Amino acid sequence: MRAIDHHAWTNRWRDRHPAEKLLPALGLLSLTLFLPPLTTAPLVLAGAALATVRGAGVPLRALVAVMAAPLAFLLAGAPFLAISLRFDEGFSVGFSPAGGRLALDATLRALAATGCLAFLILTTPLADWVPLLRRAGVPTGVIELILLIYRLIFVFAERALTGRRAQVARLGYSRLDRGLRSVGLLAGNLFQRALAQARRMEIGLAARGYDGELRVLAPARPLSWLRLMAGMTGVGLIGLAGGLLGRGSP
Amino acid sequence: MSAPLLAARGLEYAYPGGIVALRTLDLAVEPGRKMAILGPNGSGKTTLLLHLNGTYRPVRGEVLLDGRPAAYDRRALDEWRRRVGLVLQEPDDQLFAATVAQDVSFGPLNLGLPEPAVHERVGEALEALRIAHLADRATHTLSFGQKKRVAIAGVLAMRPEILVLDEPTAGLDAHGVAHLLAALNRLHGAGTTLVFSTHDVELAYAWADEVALFHEGTVLGQGETTAVLGNRELLERARLRPPLLLEMAEALRANESEDRHRPPPRSREALLAMLRERFPARPTKSDLLAAAPDQDRYSGA
Repeated sequence: MRAIDHHAWTNRWRDRHPAEKLLPALGLLSLTLFLPPLTTAPLVLAGAALATVRGAGVPLRALVAVMAAPLAFLLAGAPFLAISLRFDEGFSVGFSPAGGRLALDATLRALAATGCLAFLILTTPLADWVPLLRRAGVPTGVIELILLIYRLIFVFAERALTGRRAQVARLGYSRLDRGLRSVGLLAGNLFQRALAQARRMEIGLAARGYDGELRVLAPARPLSWLRLMAGMTGVGLIGLAGGLLGRGSP
Repeated sequence: MSAPLLAARGLEYAYPGGIVALRTLDLAVEPGRKMAILGPNGSGKTTLLLHLNGTYRPVRGEVLLDGRPAAYDRRALDEWRRRVGLVLQEPDDQLFAATVAQDVSFGPLNLGLPEPAVHERVGEALEALRIAHLADRATHTLSFGQKKRVAIAGVLAMRPEILVLDEPTAGLDAHGVAHLLAALNRLHGAGTTLVFSTHDVELAYAWADEVALFHEGTVLGQGETTAVLGNRELLERARLRPPLLLEMAEALRANESEDRHRPPPRSREALLAMLRERFPARPTKSDLLAAAPDQDRYSGA
């Protein structure tokens, strides 16, 4: 998570208007959903990876790391799609070619879609999502919650880490039962501290005129129609190629 | 004499549960001063500061702005907090936004300023603390010292008349302290009145114009720094030791009657100058050799 956050804040495309990244990503996502996946999905994945690594300058390793966990789930789940259970003549378990094809399509689709999301989260910091969410009509309260949670995740992650280190230093995890006890104590402690933190933050915000709404300036990001069009053209080309190549296949 | 900018009269406060935090406390902040509220940890300094911007309401006594008792309705509090800016000790208690510039924009936006003016205020505050280069950084990636400066900038952007800081140097290394004090000096030079709490006698001595000695929920005495910190009896009652600089200077000039009327040193440099004057350096061997360059230094060997 730290790594994703780091790249989102430091990549080359950080200062670009979020719509320049969101719309092409959504375009690629819909290609994978509506065109034959066997030919389109690999192209979409390549496109997303190219944009992330070549375009935004995020290291390939970071992209692979982000995709590793979903990929593991996909690979673990795919074989079960290929297996069919039959109940018509008693009970039988079998592998069918149709099932195999289904598993392949689903896996490719999911992989390509994960690539699109990875591109988005690796190139766009949270602060840039807020204006988009606002425009999309998400209620202010929800947006403020997102902002505060995002900010406090790092504060509490730090505290949890130090707390755990202190417990380890006093052999709090030397046995399974002690470990469980220590985790419980740490969680209880963090809850209390979260409450105290909330109270102090309220004081700090009130000192700056907080009246129930967390207003901040939106980052100024001019939208470049040229770049947006270029991105959408890329999406169109990928769609065209995927569609043409996949025309013969069922 | 005109009324002080900010004052507390007979302040009393107890926390729910009856723990008494402040008892008949008097304090006066004159415009243009650098005032230290000096006292040990846990003596109630933070509670006092939270009264100075209307966060807490005293059980008895009152806080006065320009000599008039402060009111606690919404509008009065807004105006009060615009004039008296409060910076908490722990910056993570204050910073909530994703980026530095966004966080600093919070106060000016709450003042109802139009966006161009907010931009100007943000730029000005960041510049005053020399952190303009951090404007677009994510808040959680900053160092502690940087967060501290951002927290101050966030309050400064509201252009307060008085800046109240809770233990501003706590947790900073020597470099961080120097950096912060330089920034505060610039603000003071630009006309901001500063009030800060500290447990550090040396800091109060070196840096404040005025000291309020705080002990167990009340102010034992308030006055010019050298007068308050030179008062042994008062310091003892507050369980504080006199500043090292002052003690050394006193030891040095114990027998020198002509030194009596000179002001005591307030900085490391001033003390060193005094030491050099008192004990002129004897020439060292290399000094002597350097003074006689025409002689072959190895001739006698």
